[in-house]
Amino acid sequence: MPGPLITPGELVSRRILVIDDEEANVLLLTTLLKREGYTDVHGITDPSRAMQAFIDLSPDLVLLDLMMPEVDGFQLLEAFGRHERADEYRPVLVLTADTTLQARRRALSLGAKDFVAKPFDVIEVALRISNLLETRLLYERLRQPSP
Amino acid sequence: MRLARFLTRFWADRPLALKGLVVVALPLAILLVSLSLLFQASHAEEEAEDDVRRAFAVQRDTYQVHALLAEAAAGVRGYVLTRQARFLEPYRKAEADLPPTFERLDGIIRDAEIRNRFERIRTLAVRKREGLHAIVELADARTAHAHNTSEIEAALVANKIVLDAMRQEIDRIQVRENTLLDQRLRRVEEVRNRFLFLTAISAVVGLLGSLAAVYLFSTGIVRRIGNLEDNAERLAQGEALTELPQDADEIGRLAQRLVRASALLRGREQALRESEERFRLVIEEVRDYGIFALDPTGVVTSWNLGAERIKGWTAAEILGQHFSRFYPDETRDFLPARMLQRARERGTVEDEGWRLRKDGSRFWANVVITSLHDDNGQVRGFAKVTRDMTERRRTEEALRMAREDAIAANLAKSEFLSRTSHELRTPMSAILGFGQLLELDEETLSPSHRAAVQQIMKAGRHLLALINDLLDISSIEAGATDMSIEAVDLDDVVQEVHALAAPIVATGGLSFQLEAAEPGLIAQADRRRLIQVLLNLIANAAKYNRTGTCVRLAYGRNGADIRIEVEDDGEGIDPSAASRLFTPFDRLGQQSKTRVEGTGLGLALSKRLVESMNGQIGYEAPAKGARFWFTLPGVQPAQMPQKD
Repeated sequence: MPGPLITPGELVSRRILVIDDEEANVLLLTTLLKREGYTDVHGITDPSRAMQAFIDLSPDLVLLDLMMPEVDGFQLLEAFGRHERADEYRPVLVLTADTTLQARRRALSLGAKDFVAKPFDVIEVALRISNLLETRLLYERLRQPSP
Repeated sequence: MRLARFLTRFWADRPLALKGLVVVALPLAILLVSLSLLFQASHAEEEAEDDVRRAFAVQRDTYQVHALLAEAAAGVRGYVLTRQARFLEPYRKAEADLPPTFERLDGIIRDAEIRNRFERIRTLAVRKREGLHAIVELADARTAHAHNTSEIEAALVANKIVLDAMRQEIDRIQVRENTLLDQRLRRVEEVRNRFLFLTAISAVVGLLGSLAAVYLFSTGIVRRIGNLEDNAERLAQGEALTELPQDADEIGRLAQRLVRASALLRGREQALRESEERFRLVIEEVRDYGIFALDPTGVVTSWNLGAERIKGWTAAEILGQHFSRFYPDETRDFLPARMLQRARERGTVEDEGWRLRKDGSRFWANVVITSLHDDNGQVRGFAKVTRDMTERRRTEEALRMAREDAIAANLAKSEFLSRTSHELRTPMSAILGFGQLLELDEETLSPSHRAAVQQIMKAGRHLLALINDLLDISSIEAGATDMSIEAVDLDDVVQEVHALAAPIVATGGLSFQLEAAEPGLIAQADRRRLIQVLLNLIANAAKYNRTGTCVRLAYGRNGADIRIEVEDDGEGIDPSAASRLFTPFDRLGQQSKTRVEGTGLGLALSKRLVESMNGQIGYEAPAKGARFWFTLPGVQPAQMPQKD
């Protein structure tokens, strides 16, 4: 009988990219994540640099705000989708103060895996993040041949 | 004169059958009378000729009697002288022939004088014969006795006297007969003349009778039928009829019927003319529509005031012109012909487009062309109705722009709300997020800091609730809500609401009662918003009921609607304040008197939500506590779409 599929140690070492033009929000999320034990957390407040960071860092999870100047979250979602390989599972969690149904639908249809309205409950967000990472890990394992 | 008129009248009034009979019978009757007269005349002539013939016969026979007796006397005398028997032959012949001759005469004599003389002659003849007989006997005796010569002489003398007397009578008869013959011949002449005269008269009368018949036929029938035909022709031409005498026969009645038909036709024609006149006036007076007529080639044949008003030409200016001049240059070459062709094919054709006024300016016209047909289905022209739609087109344009503006404004409003939502929530996110992080690590905080974090969190949550409600109300008022009205199973919704609200109700130490009037009720609502309203009302009931024991949620049918009530048995609401319940931020003084939390927007928001789901909301005061109700349009179970 093998042990638990995924150990907490595997999760917290995963790379997370936070994109939000509001510095306070980036700080809130990175603080929360560090408190939860995550070690590889990157924050971006300049959306125009977000795509480059996404390519450079190749994160396991993206926490994305929708309403940003110059390049908004929808455009970034589209760009991620164009850049991504078809068989890749790289979850994006949208965190936004725009709670309208249209925004929710549009974000999910552009490939966001989850959607949380701001202000959010930090515990809930922490749980969603771990869930999404777990899914990605399981997906990766399925793709790799068993040793 | 009066009689003539009366007769004419009388004749005209007889039925045609009688007239025909008279016309045929009149010449026939005259002919018959003529013939009978002729017959009578010829009969009279025959009689007269008979008389003449008889007169000749009497003369002949009397001569014969005389001759026989004279010859007999001569014979006897000879015998007396000669004693030769052959002298007695005439005597014997007379003996034999006289009786039949007398008999014949007796049969044919009519005249009284002649009969008298005849009777005398007969007597004389008898005496003569007896005398002769006596002489013959004497002569025979003298043969034996030659001494009787004197006796014979005496007898001869006597005989001679008788014969003379007889001859005298015969002469008289001859004279009489001659007189009679003359008379009779004259009468024959007369009768013949009369006969000729009658024949001539008959011919003349017969001719006149025929002429009279022809005249009667002509006056009684032919001329009148001719008149009738004239009148029929007039009737056909629509002219006034010639007045004809009102005779009572068939022709007269026919004439009167024609008169009646004419009157009827005139009446109808008059009515038709009046109706057409009225109609024409109506059309001419119509000012909002240009109504005019075209001949089959498109030439204008009538023009109303509306057309004049819209297009600028007066009737006098445009009549006789081709309607293509109403079209601007770019369509004039093909559109008018095409319009007429389509109207011909389909009966009617409608078009909208630019047309020209007299002054050359353009107007946007709605045009309907209808083809007009005669009785044989041939197109005899077109009716054209034109409306000036320029103003309406302008209005439509303005409306469209206004609509576009409104849509743009709405989009802008949604955009604004979305931005506001974002701008207000983003800092709240940081405040509440960090506050929550501090709460998570509260063991590291001093008690005063811990209390401060709690105050921050409480105020933050209140502010967030306020922002949420305010944005909700704004978005509803802006028409930017995401309402998705669908059939909602109330039992289902109430179960969910019960699960969500039970903790809130339980916090106040209250019991939560559910009452469904019947199962399976379906309402038309937005499920999420319905839950929001219910939670709001239940939370209010729980929050403000600090003296009662329960919160009650009841729902049932109310006509075609569903009615839902949320009730508590607390202290209730001051009746004077009830009217302000649904006003935003009016918390009925709660904020100062009590410690109950609230944004003051809950009921106002609920009211807007219910109304945008086509329902109503209200408050009523039960015996104890407070009762809020709202309605939603219901769905009959049969109307529910079947779910797979």
